[in-house]
Amino acid sequence: MTDTDIIVVGAGPAGSCAAIAAAKAGKRVVLIERGPFPGSKNMYGGVIYPRILDELIPDWFEHAPIQRWVVRRSTMLLSDTGAFNIDYRSNAWGQAPYNGATAYRPDFDNWLAQQAVAAGAELICSTTVTGLLRDAQGRIKGITTDRPDGDLTASVVIACDGVNSFIAKDAGLYKSVDASNYTLGVKETLSLPKSVIDERFGVRDNQGVDIEILGGTSGVNGGGFIYTNLDTIALGVVLKLPKLSAQKKRPEEIIAELKRHPAIAPLIEGAEVIEYSAHVIPEAGLDMMPKMVADGLLVAGDAAALCLAAGIWLEGVNFAMASGMYAGQSAAQAVTAGNTSASELQSYTKKLNETFVLKDHKKLRKIPHLVLSDRVQHKYPGFVTGIVERMFRVENPHPKPGVRRILREERKKAGISLMDLVRDALTGLKGFG
Amino acid sequence: MSLESLRAANNIERDNTWAEISFQERIDTAEFRIHERAHITVNGDSCRGCTTRECVVACPANLFVPTSDGGILFNYENCFECGTCYLVCNQAGAITWTYPEGGYGIVFHRT
Amino acid sequence: MTIAVCLKWINASGQTDVDDDRFMGFSYADQAALEYALRVAENTNDEVIVVTAGPVGAEAVLRDAIARGAHRAVRIDIDRSHDSATIAQAIAQVVAHCALIWCGDYSSDRGSGSVPAFIAAELSFAQALGLVEIQVPADSLHPIRALRRLDGGRREQLEIHGQAVISIEGSTARLRRASLKGSMAANKQAIDIVTVNQVAIETPPTRAYRPRARTIAAPVGSSALDRVKQITDTSSAKGHGETVHLEPREAAELIVNKLREWGYQS
Repeated sequence: MTDTDIIVVGAGPAGSCAAIAAAKAGKRVVLIERGPFPGSKNMYGGVIYPRILDELIPDWFEHAPIQRWVVRRSTMLLSDTGAFNIDYRSNAWGQAPYNGATAYRPDFDNWLAQQAVAAGAELICSTTVTGLLRDAQGRIKGITTDRPDGDLTASVVIACDGVNSFIAKDAGLYKSVDASNYTLGVKETLSLPKSVIDERFGVRDNQGVDIEILGGTSGVNGGGFIYTNLDTIALGVVLKLPKLSAQKKRPEEIIAELKRHPAIAPLIEGAEVIEYSAHVIPEAGLDMMPKMVADGLLVAGDAAALCLAAGIWLEGVNFAMASGMYAGQSAAQAVTAGNTSASELQSYTKKLNETFVLKDHKKLRKIPHLVLSDRVQHKYPGFVTGIVERMFRVENPHPKPGVRRILREERKKAGISLMDLVRDALTGLKGFG
Repeated sequence: MSLESLRAANNIERDNTWAEISFQERIDTAEFRIHERAHITVNGDSCRGCTTRECVVACPANLFVPTSDGGILFNYENCFECGTCYLVCNQAGAITWTYPEGGYGIVFHRT
Repeated sequence: MTIAVCLKWINASGQTDVDDDRFMGFSYADQAALEYALRVAENTNDEVIVVTAGPVGAEAVLRDAIARGAHRAVRIDIDRSHDSATIAQAIAQVVAHCALIWCGDYSSDRGSGSVPAFIAAELSFAQALGLVEIQVPADSLHPIRALRRLDGGRREQLEIHGQAVISIEGSTARLRRASLKGSMAANKQAIDIVTVNQVAIETPPTRAYRPRARTIAAPVGSSALDRVKQITDTSSAKGHGETVHLEPREAAELIVNKLREWGYQS
């Protein structure tokens, strides 16, 4: 007899959704969190797309502690002094059935974990899982923790222990760990009065803005972001790890330079840093994903590298919630069937393959590499802003140059060969499908 | 883009630029519940042979300090528990990395 | 027998004005009190009850204490904006039957350390307050010995007999961790709730704090310069110091008289 049916390690979005799904299926679930409360270890650069919660918590939008609904979505290309911005606004995104929202993870994740408790899961905080228990056949049968008398047995362990997932590594599910598959996200939470944020970003009430930035990261491959909360702005950069150390620029210096950019500085003028935070992101998508199933073990969320970093689409929490939910459902089915072997638990991978979780990743497989490639990072922002700069600069009495001439000259100035341009365009077109 | 070239390009006077906060002020905005056990240990002997010192640049909490004798001084107290250091480290066995005891370490508030 | 531990539900992140369940806990001083109470109870086979005063969110600290080994928990449902005397009065009624009442010496949210003293006064218990070291007795036949901090690095040795309120400084003992099974069991443990109506609260009349005027005797000296020097000079010893050997009663009388003479007491 095991202590419980299912142990979920980590009460982030993946873990809590796994716990909700398994508890709703009538299983005994223990949800273990190493922080003093769920969400206390979690930060992101981001937006939550919570529609996947419809299945588990139908009225989530009435209760989820969100900051603002994103109604303006911008993609910004920064050169040293210029900024090219594609901005789309839709107030419909701020009404049911809603789209993306900004939220503080210590609020959102804690709320989600409380939904798991309400569904019947048992939440244990301030407990770090230190390893896996195995039976004589090597089958996983539970966990060890850093508490006295801290072993706990179960039929299935669901590892939702985040990007560093020592459980997935301990179980041998990762082939190798390569720093180039990861990026470092650092961010500042900047305090400004709500009225000032509303005015500067052209929104009101709980409407919010999401700005994704390419360029402006001081020569380090990566990107930047700005999100509006009610009375704070989240501003940060995402940096490709091996490049970061090669450039000899520290993360906070790169943030500082982004904040000084003439297109960014007026947005945040007078804002005070009220919290600095950092986290690692699994960036390489399908190419870094571990095996997600072993005998008695499932892996979900960041622990399974289920994070979509595809340039114009940057999503993670929704992939975590979905994979967690499917893991919880598969685990519950396996417990009911009395067989929690890897082959029985494959229903989880099947489900991931049938849904957006892996479909999006397969479709966009090449995009993370393209976005973080040197050309896209260092040449295209200058190329695009150079074109726009010349197209809209009126230099009378000189007549306007032709667009083709500008394109040719700017391409040469940026040092991009026609071949490369065509190749990247094709990769992009194919990749974005 | 250097700060100077940026200022020159925009005719920005020094006084008008963003008033940066010190690193100490920056890190003080985060809450750390410090446990007496160091959850990360750094083997200084391995670091002496390291030429790249990637951790010194990459650690967002600036916890790796090079010493004059070629080693690395490491503080665990203000750690974000992000994992950057062991990912970028290319000296096998130099960094032993675990999470702090349950309930301790970084506590985010509005992230 | 039963021993009680009073735990104050405070913001563990050091923000004194924010009541957010996520960031709440109890102070290092309260942690030390709980740890010593548990150590004593292990040797004396006493029952440990933990008490807190506050809203339903405060039950988290009680569950935490139960996970670490306390046997029972009582939450006094009371508005925490009451002054220390009122809170102490409410606690006193819940712990009146206990042999020992353990408290932290003061909480880290601007606590003044008055609640333990008020509880002792309310129950007419002995006080052993501001302790820095406890010798845990081997069994219930031996008394607790303790050290109390005095001015100038001095220590007072105490032996605790009978019913007493004990308050202890923070970081004098590391609170044990709860076992995993203990934490799981604590989640299910019932907590007794005492409402304020059940506890008869007598709120003493309060008035604004007004320090008493201190009268200083006129300086004596032949010249004005001497008299001014006597008041302002810091380099020479002014010398209230006087060594006498007296019986306690007479010594106390002398001290009071001298204090009055020097203007410390009217």
